[in-house]
Amino acid sequence: MSDKTEVNLTGVKQSKGLWLVKVPKYLSLQWDKATEKGDVGKITIGKKQGKTEVHFSLNEELTAVGAAGEQDASLQVPREHPFTMHTVGGQTMAVFSQSNADEISLEGMVVHRAECRPAVNDNYMKLKKLQIKASTKPQRLSQQLERAVTTVFKPVANHDFNVEHEKKKKSEGKMVRAEWQVVLDMLFSAFEKHQYYNIKDLVDITKQPVTYLKEIMREIGTYNSKGPHKSTWELKPEYRHYQAAEEEEMQKA
Amino acid sequence: MTSLGGSSSSATEYTVRVPKNTSKKYNIMAFNSGDRVNCSTWTQARMERDMSARRIYGEEESAEGAAGSEFGKKQREEARRKKYGIVTREFKVEDQPWILKVNGKAGKRFKGLKKGGVTENASYYIFTQCPDGAFEAFPVHGWYNFTPQAKHRTLTAEEAEEEWGRRNKVVNHFSIMLQRRFREQERGGDDDDDENEKSGKKKKKGGGRGADLRIHDLEEDLEMSSDDSDSSMGDEGKTKAKKATGKGKAKKKRKSSDKEALEDSDDGDYEGLEVDYMSDESSNSDEELEKGKPSKGEHHPKGIDEASESEEESEEEKQNEEEAKEEEEEEEGKKTPVQTEKKKKKDSSGESESSDDSDIEGETASALFLKKRTPPKRGGRGSAGSSRTGSRPGTPSIDSASTSNTLRAAASKLEQGKRPTPGPSTDSPAAKRLKMEPSSQSPVPSGKSTPQPPSGKSTPSSSDVQLTEEAVRRYLIRKPMTTKDLLKKFQTKRTGLSSEQTVNVLAQILKRLNPERKNVNDKMHFYLTE
Repeated sequence: MSDKTEVNLTGVKQSKGLWLVKVPKYLSLQWDKATEKGDVGKITIGKKQGKTEVHFSLNEELTAVGAAGEQDASLQVPREHPFTMHTVGGQTMAVFSQSNADEISLEGMVVHRAECRPAVNDNYMKLKKLQIKASTKPQRLSQQLERAVTTVFKPVANHDFNVEHEKKKKSEGKMVRAEWQVVLDMLFSAFEKHQYYNIKDLVDITKQPVTYLKEIMREIGTYNSKGPHKSTWELKPEYRHYQAAEEEEMQKA
Repeated sequence: MTSLGGSSSSATEYTVRVPKNTSKKYNIMAFNSGDRVNCSTWTQARMERDMSARRIYGEEESAEGAAGSEFGKKQREEARRKKYGIVTREFKVEDQPWILKVNGKAGKRFKGLKKGGVTENASYYIFTQCPDGAFEAFPVHGWYNFTPQAKHRTLTAEEAEEEWGRRNKVVNHFSIMLQRRFREQERGGDDDDDENEKSGKKKKKGGGRGADLRIHDLEEDLEMSSDDSDSSMGDEGKTKAKKATGKGKAKKKRKSSDKEALEDSDDGDYEGLEVDYMSDESSNSDEELEKGKPSKGEHHPKGIDEASESEEESEEEKQNEEEAKEEEEEEEGKKTPVQTEKKKKKDSSGESESSDDSDIEGETASALFLKKRTPPKRGGRGSAGSSRTGSRPGTPSIDSASTSNTLRAAASKLEQGKRPTPGPSTDSPAAKRLKMEPSSQSPVPSGKSTPQPPSGKSTPSSSDVQLTEEAVRRYLIRKPMTTKDLLKKFQTKRTGLSSEQTVNVLAQILKRLNPERKNVNDKMHFYLTE
């Protein structure tokens, strides 16, 4: 309804054939480590005895597992990956892309599906073993503590939090009554922002003692004891003029 | 690009690049092969996110800003949710389905739902071949399965269930949708927009259907009956509000087709109907409706059901009418034992409902019933009958002093009621009352069981003091007394009468005695000199 993006159909028109390739996770991780240019390897498409064979070989520098720059000889990602090709029989697949600016364009149709399989060798087996060990490790583990837990709550004469609170209260002192008009101004400006207020919030805002504040509120406002805004104060109708309410009234009239 | 020659193999090498900084995110749009989707035939396509789930997930407060908002409402709501452990799933725009519209308005529509778990264990890449021969691989961000959306009208779940129930009976399947369309046309009325047809139609169907369900009950019947009576009076009324009548028509026709499906629930509809006993019109119009409907219905088996329904209904109506006419004896004669209890209940309810009859009569009747529940049915019937007979003469003469009349009448009824029943079971208060009533009528002091205390100084300390004329005379001879004093002498606990009765009987006695009056301390005192 609101923003319908026009799909750019140029890709489909050109009938670009795309391949959908399933790549193992470790390989995609290695690909992420590639340089700026993005060269990751070479693909070889050959015809052997009538069959099309696709083979991918990873670049040398990307075979190291671990941080970039390290050459961990023991662990290396396999380099040779034959691709298994399938045709897209059951599904019609298209590829669409979405840019950052929410522009959608149809890139093309998928003509082949492929799976990137590693050539199985000892290296690969070692890698897999490590992977399995890592995945079977439980997320939670139980540790033995050297010392007993000592955060048991001991009875305290006065809790820290309470002590601080009392100190703060003493330092601030009792709330002093300001002028009636001053308080009124404060209240009106507060009620301009919101319609319903709790008495505690008003005390916070105005820093006036509760009884004084209630007196003022009784004069200019009403207390909602029931309804959706329960136990809140609001200004009397003659004192308030909210825009939305006004417009509604004008519409009704 | 290097090419290697080989005897039976020829291979070409290409470099694979994974571009690093692409602003584009690639997604898969998967269709079912059975849908025969050919993207090259698309001339124009529009795609957008389906945000309809936002209402469900997003809690949007109505008022943000000055009017209607509370201070700190959001924090309080959040704290409340945390306290109760309510975890709301976030509305992620990324996960919302897509809506794809191909070739404009008249073209196809597709809905694309995101397939989960695609990028968890393996990554998908799109390999495209660049003009320079190298391959570029882009990672797939998401996978969406697109399915075509039906544009023809479909039945809602409720309707589908109805039709399923009739699948053996319905032969003409095309008529199902035809009727539905017909209904919609009437309800739709002025809307000619195509937009509304597509998107709004579904809402209207749902709304209309909801409205149907809502008003399918009593109000609808009463409305219908009122509509019928209006139409019988004049067609002018129909032209008043086109929509209202249109709705009425639609309701009628819909009723005809709904009748087919809702036959099971219709039985219960009329049972709870609160028909005013005074006006027979509504019940009659209901009968008319009933008979009018089978003619419109499609299938004959329905007729039988409806016929049985109308039978039931007429039975009920008959019962109501008879009660209103008060032909008690006939009913009792016709009653089967099964129905006696029902009748009794209806009697009592009917009596309580009939507002024209005197309230007092109702009171006494209820008082009688309180007494009479314990004895067998015969007693109940007898009292009901006697109360009925008593009501006829009783109703015209009602004035302020009627309470005493009714008391006497009640007493006489009690006596009558007592006579046919041979039961000697009389509880002491009843016995006292009976004995007292006739004794109050006769001025002769009845030497009853209770000994009368000697007149004189001693205050009566016996257990029961009878409110007799003799007693009152004694008091008044001794010394002048006010009515209050007299009443105090005859305490309700001692005499066994209620305060009202005491007052009444005392008044009678005083009338008869006609004592002399004297004003002492601004109070009226009675006294006798003998």
